[in-house]
Amino acid sequence: MMIARLSPIFSAAFAIAYVIIEQNNLALFTYHPRINEWGWLMEPSRNGPGMYWFGWLGSSALVAGLVSLVSVPLLRNRPVPSIMGWAVPLICMVLFVYLLRAFFFR
Amino acid sequence: MVVFLLILHGLCAVALLGAITHQTFAAWWPARKAIGFTPSFRAVQGAKFTNAIVILFIITFVLGAVIYPPYRLTGRTYLETMRMWSVNGSFELKEQFLAIGLGMLPFYWHVWRQSLDDTLALARKMTSALLFFAVWFGFITGHVVNNVKGIM
Repeated sequence: MMIARLSPIFSAAFAIAYVIIEQNNLALFTYHPRINEWGWLMEPSRNGPGMYWFGWLGSSALVAGLVSLVSVPLLRNRPVPSIMGWAVPLICMVLFVYLLRAFFFR
Repeated sequence: MVVFLLILHGLCAVALLGAITHQTFAAWWPARKAIGFTPSFRAVQGAKFTNAIVILFIITFVLGAVIYPPYRLTGRTYLETMRMWSVNGSFELKEQFLAIGLGMLPFYWHVWRQSLDDTLALARKMTSALLFFAVWFGFITGHVVNNVKGIM
């Protein structure tokens, strides 16, 4: 079952993409909560703060989906190591602790 | 409406906490006999919790996303004004941990669906442990943030 075989790749790709996208603010869309408006890609704040988290999730899902699709012909009958599915997310979570450390040392 | 959704978000999170805690303990520290409270807590068939955990995670996540904008406008602004950086940073970590958890759900479902496959035993333990950590961290952080400044 291809979807099951691709799940560790999707999991790893999503985590890596999310870190890169969050750090570079490559949001697929922006939400402006004060005026209840949406905009494509990263937009500067409009009359209040802009929210990019929804856009980061969208970008990450898109990238992870594309990476999974591209890996289909490359995989053929090769086994996908299951460690990818949990070790990469674990590393990315630890990486976020490091990247956000400034909040805790002010 | 926001308060209702916040309470619903919290209640779903409690149900999710129970399920993921049962499953994680059963995976890491299985009990042979269900005698007494602690062994009974661990003597569950972890695989039977999988679908419930996936559904509860998604529902709780979506509810959290719906009430996130009011938090951004009131709660976070307050935290920044009051210079409560560690609380603010904990919420930032919460959203990143849970986003990574969301991306891991298909793999999590896949490894727990094949509960008899011994080659995936470590993957089952680790995916449950990561979701366990993310959900507990998110729950405690959400509680602390709401205690500091509710979204009213």
